[in-house]
Amino acid sequence: MLPRNESIGVSEEQRPVSEGRRDEAGRLGPGADPSVWEVFRQEKGGDPMRHAGNVRAPDRELAMHYAREFYSRRNESVRMWVVPRTEISDLSDPDLLQPPLDRSFKKPGGYVMRDKLEIAKRRAGEAAE
Amino acid sequence: MTTEARRPTRQLIEPDLPAFDASALEPELRAAIAELLLSMADDEFVIGFRDSEWTGIAPMLEEDVAFSSLAQDEIGHARLFYELRCALTGEDPDRLAFHRQPHEYRHAQLLDWPRQGWAFTITRRWLYDTADAIRLAALAHASFAPLAEVVVKVRREERYHLMHLDAWLERLGTHHGQPRGKVLSALKQLAPAALSVFAPLPGEQVLVDAGVLSASMAQLADRWRSDATARLCALNLRPIPAGAPPADGRDRAQPDESFVWLWNEFTSVARLEEGAQW
Repeated sequence: MLPRNESIGVSEEQRPVSEGRRDEAGRLGPGADPSVWEVFRQEKGGDPMRHAGNVRAPDRELAMHYAREFYSRRNESVRMWVVPRTEISDLSDPDLLQPPLDRSFKKPGGYVMRDKLEIAKRRAGEAAE
Repeated sequence: MTTEARRPTRQLIEPDLPAFDASALEPELRAAIAELLLSMADDEFVIGFRDSEWTGIAPMLEEDVAFSSLAQDEIGHARLFYELRCALTGEDPDRLAFHRQPHEYRHAQLLDWPRQGWAFTITRRWLYDTADAIRLAALAHASFAPLAEVVVKVRREERYHLMHLDAWLERLGTHHGQPRGKVLSALKQLAPAALSVFAPLPGEQVLVDAGVLSASMAQLADRWRSDATARLCALNLRPIPAGAPPADGRDRAQPDESFVWLWNEFTSVARLEEGAQW
């Protein structure tokens, strides 16, 4: 069986640079800088959480304070998430993300919809009359 | 820059400063509120400039940004308090902030101490913020509505400041060795001086009788001592010593050397050209 983190046929140099090794669960784990916290923020209710950037802090409490000062001191957010980088699951394996075979048949652009759409519209129009 | 056609050099913080009729207040009460506002404005103004001395040299980049932001918040609070006072007295907030002589400032003597090291700064700031929190709480339901309104807003920011400062006091104060030793020695020097925040104010009784201030400064000092001591003891640090607030806690007939230095710094631009517009 292959080791979990070893991709097939791609040399280490071709992989995107990742910080440190991942553990069995895919977490950056001890390979990541434990003092770095990734910060996400929501600009207004209903918006998705977006990555804002990161801060360096010795613990969770100060990380929250610094996240607030760096990414929301001018009322830019209604919610923030602060996550230790060591807890991030990192997926950068080219076998999983960038396989070499042609995938164009998986893209919606592979189907020509225009004519079918025209016919469907016409049919819907007739039904309405 | 021109001194011709002088327009007001500043804009009021319109949304933050409620409109009101100053003439509806009894002159005695109006003077007492003005005195209270000046003491609070000067406190926030001086601590704001003290903190801004750390810009660029705080222990780490993140703290540098955070602490500078706290300093800006305090200057913002000072601005509100100066403007509210000036709405009562008809003075010019800029002149009040930047054009008085050192002996005319009314901030607590606790804030005269120079910045010194990081542990000293954190300890002083924690003492001031805990005392300020007690004072603000005593004004939250002031019968003079514009003050109560401003205090509600300021308290929401001060809550965060206190969390930030308390986090640092805990880390330094419980870290055995040098940091804890420095906090202990700063507390020994500063805890008695912190009572100056509660120095009696001229017209204080008028404020209490009119329901502006919910208790006398001496009572607030006791409240603060008991709260601050509980927290300090939880961190295995020294309690606040007994004692009444000093009557001259805001007097500076002989201004402290360190404050005169700071005053020279924060008035240096304003003194460059009288009446200049920016």
